[in-house]
Amino acid sequence: MRPLARAIPAHLEGPPLPPPRHRTLLDALDEAAASGVVLTFLDAAERETIVPWSELRLRARRFAGGLVRLGIRRGDRVALVLPTAPDFPVAFFGALLAGAVPVPLYPPLRLGRLAAYHQRTARMLTACGARLLVSDRRIRRLLGAAVAGARPALGCRTVEELASGREHGGGAQPGDLALIQFSSGTTVDPKPVALRHAHVLANLAAIATYLGPDPVGVSWLPLYHDMGLIGCLLLAAAQPGPLTLIPPEHFLARPAIWLRAIARKRATVSPAPNFAFGLSLRRVRDADLAGLDLATWRLALNGAEPIAAAVLRRFAARFAGHGFDPAALVPVYGLSEASLAVTFAPPGRPFRARSHGGREVVSVGAPVPGVAVEIRGPSGEVVATGETGRIFVRGPAVMEGYFGRPGATAEVLRDGWLDTGDLGSVEEGELYVCGRAKEIVVLRGANHAPQRFEEALAPVEGVRPGCAVAFGFLPPDGEGEELAILFERNDGGAVADLEERVRAAVVEATGIRPVAAVALAPGTLPRTTSGKLQRGEARRLWLAGALEPPAPVTPLRLAGALLHSQLAFVRARLGAGPGER
Amino acid sequence: MNEALREVRRIFAEELGWSGAVEPHHALAADLQLDSVQLLTLVVGLENRFRIALAEEDAAQVRTVADLVALVERRRREAGR
Repeated sequence: MRPLARAIPAHLEGPPLPPPRHRTLLDALDEAAASGVVLTFLDAAERETIVPWSELRLRARRFAGGLVRLGIRRGDRVALVLPTAPDFPVAFFGALLAGAVPVPLYPPLRLGRLAAYHQRTARMLTACGARLLVSDRRIRRLLGAAVAGARPALGCRTVEELASGREHGGGAQPGDLALIQFSSGTTVDPKPVALRHAHVLANLAAIATYLGPDPVGVSWLPLYHDMGLIGCLLLAAAQPGPLTLIPPEHFLARPAIWLRAIARKRATVSPAPNFAFGLSLRRVRDADLAGLDLATWRLALNGAEPIAAAVLRRFAARFAGHGFDPAALVPVYGLSEASLAVTFAPPGRPFRARSHGGREVVSVGAPVPGVAVEIRGPSGEVVATGETGRIFVRGPAVMEGYFGRPGATAEVLRDGWLDTGDLGSVEEGELYVCGRAKEIVVLRGANHAPQRFEEALAPVEGVRPGCAVAFGFLPPDGEGEELAILFERNDGGAVADLEERVRAAVVEATGIRPVAAVALAPGTLPRTTSGKLQRGEARRLWLAGALEPPAPVTPLRLAGALLHSQLAFVRARLGAGPGER
Repeated sequence: MNEALREVRRIFAEELGWSGAVEPHHALAADLQLDSVQLLTLVVGLENRFRIALAEEDAAQVRTVADLVALVERRRREAGR
């Protein structure tokens, strides 16, 4: 079968990279400020706050002055825990102007699980060696325990407190660190991805080749995530072009706000992960879009999580009546270790999918300019086109390493090639991502992608859609790896015989019977900051007997956590002396 | 029926896909099994609908649907809405 195609190695090269428009992000800020372009923030009532980049630059320079006066020195890491608001770009660029390295972290959820949040945040602050944490008044009240855990030398300050400094504008070099972002990996060991100005600008230059004339952006993506930060905010500065930002919680509360903003702003580009397209299908009503059309939307970029062809088809059909062009659905692939973008499907062409082990896998296209992708086998050799292996990436936007973690860096970077840990294949010049290498389930000598089992649960009534993880494990009395599947049951659904029905569905679809099929309460499975289910973490917790339903929101727990965090915060500030790290 | 309770029920049914009953005595976590993102959807939905702000501290007073409704009503009175 296809002997000629088999002989072609699975190696793809993107077109040559056009020279980046700027040497550093500060040069981009200067050009954006001079251009008259604005950043627009939408609130829940869709009211606009319009801020020209010239004003953001001025406020950033004053904020930088405040940082320098506080004692921030070149190369210091400044963690930012801020909502989607003008303070974010002010603090981000202000940190750069002060010669520091901004480290965006995610803010706490309203009424969320504070104790777990504090632990994760403290780990990230420690991992990047943050010397200062910058927040706003509302969020600062909730950060005490995280600050106490990590003890940044200069404590926690608000943008407001620091914004009245004397204007300060230091320069930057392309080789200076521009930001540290955390990989969407395990919460137990978050890895700080260190990116230089040159990395970010190379990736922005590559993305810009897809934008077409006069791009207009809309995004609800969080600004502490690579796709929202680099792919939207920094891209808008570097272009420069108009961008409208929606706080993610308002999108979640009312997804129609996203599509309405695209229509009203006549946006041409708006990226989102697969789930956002699914959520919109379910929750946007025709009345929400009355009199509005989506015809200007040329790039509905879909990335950051596995892409379901069925969702794309339904989205295209659902919104065709509102002028949506199905060819605007552009699957993309990337990861924070490569700044952001690695491959793009060709814009303007309907998406492609192929069957892979009985599943439909969507093409994420070809490497973006300057980037090379190859598929390697178990011993590191490049496999042939059509064969599955690990996806490796090389290019000018690939990090040089995790901040302060040479061991972790050596595990993923060799000779300039980044091991993504993802599995995929190359077919007709395009990349198909089909799973995570580490999560392969090996049963009786055969490799299985866990998705195969998880998808078998789709028709089972009472299972929460898409909320299942499958993995292999060694039972204490077993002879080899067995299959376990953990899933969340529907809200209020009956549990009776659900586990047995799941076993039956899996064996019917895959021929493999899970030894363990475990129904869990909604929200129990661990997820990354961007909402992806974490199979490895779920497996670890389950094997340790530690997989519990979400901590109940009881008055005592929250009052206790809050009191504790406030006291800890006071202690952290009083106890913080110079030089303490 | 109380307007806030009606809105809570609407969000459960229309936004969260909950098909069961939502009664004042139901505990948000134990009975209605809200996860953190669903809770955020509910809270932000109420804030937006009634133009109020529910601070993190408010969480300490909220366990049941009735608690949440009472909190929303109090914030509305304070805001004169």
